[in-house]
Amino acid sequence: MAVQTAELKPSVPSSPLLDFWKVFSRNRMALVGLVMLVAIIICAIFASQLAPYDVSTSENITIHDVYNPPSATHWLGTDDAGKDVLSNFFFGARISLTVGFFAAFISVVIGGVMGIVAGFYGGRVENILMRFTDVMLVIPDLPLMVVIVALTKPSLLNIIFVIGLLGWTTTSRIVRSQTLAVKSRKFVLRARAIGAGNNHIIRHHILPLVMPLLVVNAILVISLAILNESTLSFLGLGDPTALSWGQMLNFAFGRGAMSAGAWWALLVPGLGIVWVVLSLTLLGHGLEQVLNPRLETHHLKPGKPVLKGEFTEQRRIIKKDEAPVLLDIQELSINYLSGGNPPARAVEKVSFRLHKGELMGLVGESGCGKTTLMLALLRLLPAAGQIVGGKAYCLTSDITAMSEAEIADIRWKDISIIFQGAMNALNPVRTVSDQIAEAIIKHSPPMPRQELDNRVEELLDLVGIAVQHKDHYPHQYSGGMRQRAMIAMALACDPKVVIADEPTTALDVMIQAQILELLDNLRHKLGLSIIFVTHDLGVVAEMCDSVLVMYGGVTAEYGDVDTIYNSACHPYTQELLKAFPDLSNPEKRLASIPGYPPHLEDLPVGCRFAPRCPKAFARCVSEQPALHFLGNDHFASCHLVEAS
Amino acid sequence: MSRQKYLVKKIAWSVFTILIVLVLNFILFRVLPGDPARAGVRDPRLKQEAIEAIRIRFGLDKPVINCFESLNPIKFGSCTVNPLDTQFFIYVRNLLHGEMGISFHLQRPVGDILAERLWNTVLLIGSGQILAIILGVIIGILAAWKARTAIDYTALLGSLLAWSLPTFWLGIILLFWGSNHGLPIGGKATPGTSSLPVLQQWGDIFQHMLLPTLTYTIVYMGEYMLIMRSSLLDVLSEDYILTAKAKGLSTFQILKDHAIKNAMLPLVTVIAINLGFTVAGALQIEAVFSWPGLGGAIYEAVKRRDFPVLQGAFLLIAVSVIIANLIADLTYSYLDPRVQSD
Repeated sequence: MAVQTAELKPSVPSSPLLDFWKVFSRNRMALVGLVMLVAIIICAIFASQLAPYDVSTSENITIHDVYNPPSATHWLGTDDAGKDVLSNFFFGARISLTVGFFAAFISVVIGGVMGIVAGFYGGRVENILMRFTDVMLVIPDLPLMVVIVALTKPSLLNIIFVIGLLGWTTTSRIVRSQTLAVKSRKFVLRARAIGAGNNHIIRHHILPLVMPLLVVNAILVISLAILNESTLSFLGLGDPTALSWGQMLNFAFGRGAMSAGAWWALLVPGLGIVWVVLSLTLLGHGLEQVLNPRLETHHLKPGKPVLKGEFTEQRRIIKKDEAPVLLDIQELSINYLSGGNPPARAVEKVSFRLHKGELMGLVGESGCGKTTLMLALLRLLPAAGQIVGGKAYCLTSDITAMSEAEIADIRWKDISIIFQGAMNALNPVRTVSDQIAEAIIKHSPPMPRQELDNRVEELLDLVGIAVQHKDHYPHQYSGGMRQRAMIAMALACDPKVVIADEPTTALDVMIQAQILELLDNLRHKLGLSIIFVTHDLGVVAEMCDSVLVMYGGVTAEYGDVDTIYNSACHPYTQELLKAFPDLSNPEKRLASIPGYPPHLEDLPVGCRFAPRCPKAFARCVSEQPALHFLGNDHFASCHLVEAS
Repeated sequence: MSRQKYLVKKIAWSVFTILIVLVLNFILFRVLPGDPARAGVRDPRLKQEAIEAIRIRFGLDKPVINCFESLNPIKFGSCTVNPLDTQFFIYVRNLLHGEMGISFHLQRPVGDILAERLWNTVLLIGSGQILAIILGVIIGILAAWKARTAIDYTALLGSLLAWSLPTFWLGIILLFWGSNHGLPIGGKATPGTSSLPVLQQWGDIFQHMLLPTLTYTIVYMGEYMLIMRSSLLDVLSEDYILTAKAKGLSTFQILKDHAIKNAMLPLVTVIAINLGFTVAGALQIEAVFSWPGLGGAIYEAVKRRDFPVLQGAFLLIAVSVIIANLIADLTYSYLDPRVQSD
């Protein structure tokens, strides 16, 4: 089966247009919009064929034909001039759509050119063009249109130009920012480096990337132009000879349809406008979703219920340590579910134990399930994540069996977490002290304001932030200070366990060292138990008591730090250590592990490391190794270990 | 940038924009065929003395501005004229004195007419805008919180539909419906109620306001809902929401203390940018419901070719929108601590 699909894949013709259509056709909103739009365009084109009456003559029309209700002869009734409303509707579609499309064309061309020129050339040109755009954006456009059309001749052409010449502001702004974004992309810089002229770059590199956005914007501009035309016509500024939908409404409203109770004359043209504008809105909205799929991680989506997989209580991890056990994680498994696809097995049967005062290092390449495992301990998995087996004891209570209210109580009070990027982990519009105090208020009995302030100051002092900075906002802090503030926040409720999820990424080396030192000091000072998630084996060797090495969602090796460094059994651990500089032997060549970690949706049948493993043999490809106990609190999942 | 510099920059920018509107207004009404001053001069009903008075008031015998005799840009004139003695500066000076000409139709100063009507528009836009924002924000929060559920899709479709409704047409339909259900068919008050007790007068005004405000609310609610929804969705995927959740805060606390305020910030800017559109809505609604506001003034002025009123109303609307924009900008800088130190 697997071979077959692999062969089939390349034979499917793949063009950008076809791909686009595939995604597009799956977006119901866009599809409905397109169908509605095509339908009304057909009505407009074949108006002469579709219209049951000739509305250009007034022959045979008598006073008795005025405002006749819908009947067999006039399906949608007649209007103030005794003409057939349905026929007028078809011809009105022609005029409304024509004005909409032509006016929008003018707007989009002007806005597009201005946006590209401003974004591409920058400097003073950009400044002037964008200032001009800003001014035009502030001046209310409908009153301006009204004034101009009122002062000129109300002809269809005038209306098209006035709407077109005033409707480009949004286009110009959007195109400019897109051009700016595209301009600094690698291939544009490269094209420039090999001497391509501005014209060439704009035409072949910028335009294709700005185009999709321009199309979406154009659709919006068309709908606005149609609304504006109908409004101008309704206000009595339309071309009296061109009976657009707006003009129909103007005549009906101004000539007694209301008092005659002729609802059909008021309803039908309006529904036409709504139909077109709605179709364009749906199409535009849908297209935008297709072109710019926002993969939101919605943090307030309720998590998936915990599944109880088959589980046999195996207390295999037994440490001689006397210190009390704080966390006891037993064969925890986590899947990510995505639509109908098979679940991604992000974490599979991982076990570990954390004692009071212990610092455990959690090591592995990106995407091996480290962060997923940590988030699961707080039941903070994204909506797609689900715990599908195992238990996680915090002291004596099982985290996986807790209700939402119970887990909210555990969070921060028992287990707190320091996230990767302190940049975004703090709320930008609340002061640092406020955010720290919030955690204390949540989990402590009510205390007077003064005591709370003292506690916050004490925490900030602990991490080396001066008191005068406490009421600052996060953006006023440096990267290192933000991470310190995050650590202070994590300590706010005297948690039993602190999870530090790569706390030093995105910081420069000096600051990294300071933060690590701080964590190490705090640990000794406060007797903290910490899980330290990192790529950095050097830090692990220096600070940690025990190490859990993960690979592709499973435990590769787990043991105390000396065992792992001196007698690693798993080839992955061995390779990782080789990839790390050895201070005692500086001449040694560093070796990186060839290949990439496995995709979680497409895991190998056997050992997950087998494809990259230098010691792999036949059994490794066909059979997944179990986690073997090697004595002395040392575990590894490798067939070689069993053999020895 | 310090806070003061930011303020000064924003205010200077608004003053500049108002100047541009002044120039635009001047050019429009002098170049295009409907020049109020000259149209007045051509009006056969006027006596010779009246025409002379108009010529002096608008300075029609003076050059347009330095170096230009008329608005024909190819036809140069003398540059040595006293700049304060040109048509443009006479126009600006008249404006500064609140003098915007005399309505052709009502034979009253335009300034007086507009002053009465401005408050009616503010009343209508104010109540409609407040309702639209409150409802839009609440529905937007609900939709974002319950993203990808039936609630979300219903709210989304409803908003897109509301957005697609032509304002004036919705007004017509509601008016048609209301007039069959005993609601007043337009205006601000029933004639002859001015002698009634104040409370009853207010009740009467309230009845008249009901449908215009409803129209306004429906049309603008959808847009605020869409913006609030997408803004809140962005915020809810931020890391600091995960931090808040990790702290053990409840969903309600997270929404209240961390998400909604942050998501409302972009809304302030959007409300400001929308003020122009808002005025467009008021124009249509006032036209349909014969509401005696600025929009209604424009509608009537267009019908009667009453250019002084049209010119004055446009100027007043544009300047109000610019000032409201400035206020929104300054509010934003107060709400978002990041602005002050950009």
